[in-house]
Amino acid sequence: MAQVDKFQYDNDIVRKFLIASVVFGIIGMIVGLWVALQLIWPDLNFGIPFTTFGRIRPLHTNAVIFAFVGNGIFMGVYYSLPRLLKTPMWSKALSNFHFWGWQAIILAAAVTLPLGITSAHEYAELEWPIDLAIAVVWIAFGLNMFMTILKRREQHLYVAIWFYIATWVTVTMLHVGNNIEVPVSLWKSYPVAAGVQDALIQWWYGHNAVAFFLTTPYLGLMYYFMPKAANRPVYSYRLSIIHFWALIFIYIWAGPHHLLYTSLPDWAQSLGTVFSVMLIAPSWGGMLNGLLTLRGAWDRVRQDPVLKFLVVAITAYGMATFEGPMLSVKSVNAISHYTDWTIGHVHVGALGWNGFLTFGIMYWLIPRMYRTKLYSTQLANTHFWIGTLGILFYAIPMYWSGWTQALMWKQFTPDGYLKYANFLETVTQLRWFYIARALGGLMFLSGVFIMAYNLIKTARAGSFLAHEDAEAPPLAAHVTHKGEYWHKWIERRPVPFLLVSLVAVVIGGIIEIFPMALIKSNVPKIESVAPYTPLELEGRDIYIREGCMGCHSQMVRPFRSETERYGEYSKSGEYIYDRPFLWGSKRTGPDLHREGRGNKNSKSDAWHYNHMVVPQTMSPGSIMPAYPWLAKNELNTSRTADKIKVLKMLGTPYPQGYEQIAVQDLQKQAAQIAESMRKDGVQDDKLEQREIVALVAYLQRLGTDIIPKARAESK
Amino acid sequence: MKNNFRTKVLPVFAAALLPAGAATAQSAAAASSGIFTELFASTTLIATAILALAAVIAITQLLNSVVKVQQLKIYQAHGIEAYLEEVKKEEGSLWERLIKRWTKAVPVGKEQDVLLDHNYDGIRELDNSLPPWWVALFYVTIGFSLIYMTYYHFTGAGPSSKEEYEYQMAKAEEAKEAYLARQANKVDENTVTILEDEKELALGKAVYDANCVACHGMAGEGGVGPNMTDDYWIHGGSVKDVFKIIKNGVLEKGMQAWGNQLRPADMQRVASYILVKLHGTNPPNAKEPQGQLYQPEASQEQPAEAPGGSETQGN
Repeated sequence: MAQVDKFQYDNDIVRKFLIASVVFGIIGMIVGLWVALQLIWPDLNFGIPFTTFGRIRPLHTNAVIFAFVGNGIFMGVYYSLPRLLKTPMWSKALSNFHFWGWQAIILAAAVTLPLGITSAHEYAELEWPIDLAIAVVWIAFGLNMFMTILKRREQHLYVAIWFYIATWVTVTMLHVGNNIEVPVSLWKSYPVAAGVQDALIQWWYGHNAVAFFLTTPYLGLMYYFMPKAANRPVYSYRLSIIHFWALIFIYIWAGPHHLLYTSLPDWAQSLGTVFSVMLIAPSWGGMLNGLLTLRGAWDRVRQDPVLKFLVVAITAYGMATFEGPMLSVKSVNAISHYTDWTIGHVHVGALGWNGFLTFGIMYWLIPRMYRTKLYSTQLANTHFWIGTLGILFYAIPMYWSGWTQALMWKQFTPDGYLKYANFLETVTQLRWFYIARALGGLMFLSGVFIMAYNLIKTARAGSFLAHEDAEAPPLAAHVTHKGEYWHKWIERRPVPFLLVSLVAVVIGGIIEIFPMALIKSNVPKIESVAPYTPLELEGRDIYIREGCMGCHSQMVRPFRSETERYGEYSKSGEYIYDRPFLWGSKRTGPDLHREGRGNKNSKSDAWHYNHMVVPQTMSPGSIMPAYPWLAKNELNTSRTADKIKVLKMLGTPYPQGYEQIAVQDLQKQAAQIAESMRKDGVQDDKLEQREIVALVAYLQRLGTDIIPKARAESK
Repeated sequence: MKNNFRTKVLPVFAAALLPAGAATAQSAAAASSGIFTELFASTTLIATAILALAAVIAITQLLNSVVKVQQLKIYQAHGIEAYLEEVKKEEGSLWERLIKRWTKAVPVGKEQDVLLDHNYDGIRELDNSLPPWWVALFYVTIGFSLIYMTYYHFTGAGPSSKEEYEYQMAKAEEAKEAYLARQANKVDENTVTILEDEKELALGKAVYDANCVACHGMAGEGGVGPNMTDDYWIHGGSVKDVFKIIKNGVLEKGMQAWGNQLRPADMQRVASYILVKLHGTNPPNAKEPQGQLYQPEASQEQPAEAPGGSETQGN
């Protein structure tokens, strides 16, 4: 017998990430419940800008994705990676830097998002300084992981590690790709890409954040914790190879399914559809390998709460990954998009797959790290049932609500009128669904509290093993066996593995994004489309700050039900100066792309003023929150010139030296709008200096460039 | 051999069927004038997928009988040993055999045979085959994708989003015309007259209360929008003028066009309600007059207010 190396696994870092995941999970879900309740009672923002829906909805999504699931990923990776490689993590200092750095980023997000500091890109809202911090921490994590892999005592990399590698390399690519922006100030930047290109890049990112942050790392965790918990061999090694490579290659292409029937060119939409459909089998490969690993152990699922959680998680994964491709078929998407159907879909994934897998792993880890038994199986079972029911109470009302609203949007009377011409009717109809959904969320959240209590009790009863002793023989020189799988070759070579997976995930993005940026015919030019005036630009930035795009789309799709309701469908050429694009992904309120003056639904400046201050005066029964602070805040024009300068640099054709007279122009336009408001009864001596005037200027500009008459008159 | 044939060729059959269904669904969606047709279209798609699967199974059975005939021939030509070798009858019920054929899973009891020799932190791996149904599913989706792209892009046979929209609009217009041809309700801004009937005016009030009060006030006193009670009108005060403004709006000034939300009869009712019931009253908080004094040819009323006569404004 040759020598045996002795070493220790660091459980302390695992525990840290575990605690962070539970704490931020609870916080993120509380914020989720809060935004859900605001859809029933808008006054629950307590009249404070920082707690209004548009600002805290991204707080909820960021908290659950990056704080709850993110810490959950790291918890699982820091536990499984060293054990699968028979070596401790390479650097304890880097592990701790990773931990504290990540928590600092979460804290920064929790402060900046309520302040309205956002890049408007969904799930990438954080502004550029935080983006840089994320990059640093992420690279520290990658370095630590790769050095650990290089120092391993195990010849081959297990499938879980393939997923970790693909996750790391792809998230790096996506994070950089979607955050190429030029700073105006410390907390404001404009993206380099505009309009359709920006939309395509964002959803290339957004879709693959789901794929490579919520899916692939969790598949890796599943491949470790499922066979561990079930004490059964993984069902099929061959299946894991095929579904892994197919999954990472195909996933990247599917982003455009978020943009079906928008102004994105048809060819890119179709690529989004077909690659989503082709994702069914690779996704289900993971589900099969998870569930079939339980063959011969199904009887234990009844007794072991860990297995219960894992089974429901994998089932939810299977359902969500079948539903996703169905939602990517254009005729289904025409119904689902912009409605609560999407919300239901993502929560099956988030609550079921990510939530339950995380919980299952936590119930498995804590007793092991504390060398004791779980405090109460009964409580874990209670958590399981209340959580499962919570998912159903959440998802079913959302599906129902989505179908209801889509049907109402599209219903015509025989004489050719929209049956529900007032958008609000289709919103007030959903109240009870929203109440049921909030109840489902509350149930799910209660389950997490029960778990936290159970885990704390377990920890109290045991004693924590911070450093776990382990031993393994050093890595011997490799001897190739005859007839070994071709794939074994790459499993011994982490760096080529990294490079090949990078190539696999780069292709889809290149083929979709580059033609969009380089071939002019993809975005036909419209001569009458002009840059925003300085006042409109400031108004647009207020629109972004308040998170209006969380509830209002700016994309009239080519459907009769939309052109009748809003006006001419949106053209890609109308968005060429939109940095960032603001197409939105959910219509809790109506689309606003044809809201501007001169369109058939246009309103007067005073109407907008009154509507922003108390929406219900102009739109009784509306669930839009009030924005009285916009009528009080003075518009900050100190950065206007810088903004114009940056946009000019990015290609917006403002005249030479325009930044010097921009503020003057801004004041002139503000005075005009203030006058028009006063004429219709708005009383405020300093009206022209208020933020609301800028916002109204922007709203009145929306979708008007293709109406030549209106442009001429507003000049 | 025969199994290979089935798993590799059959998906292509199915793949050929699926997109055909999808194509039907797409054009049906394009043709739809109502939501139910659209829902129908997407259900068609799913139904087609199920049908395609059923077809795969049917064709499998068909090929099975072809195989049987082949085996019979072997028996006739080479005798009983060769025949038995060829048949090697599978055991178990039909369902079990079907499951076995479509999953190719090695039973739990025999899994030692496919257990790979490595061990990662106690985790072992089996080397079960890819489940044939899963492989078939993958091929079907790939086939679907190829045919989808060909249909919509490489050949241009499928409609673009824009063409779909135009088709949908033309269809809807046709259906609407056909419906309206059977209706008597065809008033427009050239033929509209004031309704005096109290019932009609009550209906007009309902339309007014639902849509107009936010800007023009409960009593027509004005607010964001102009006052309706005085004799001053920005765009004329005849019923034809009022009807036209309701229908087409004054888009530059924020009066929206109601023509595609309100029916002509309703616009006639609300115009009448404004002119008969609101006009000439003197509500509190009335907005100052805007526009020109309008005097109908046969007016008996005096202007309720002179320009600038009211100090109060706003709402």
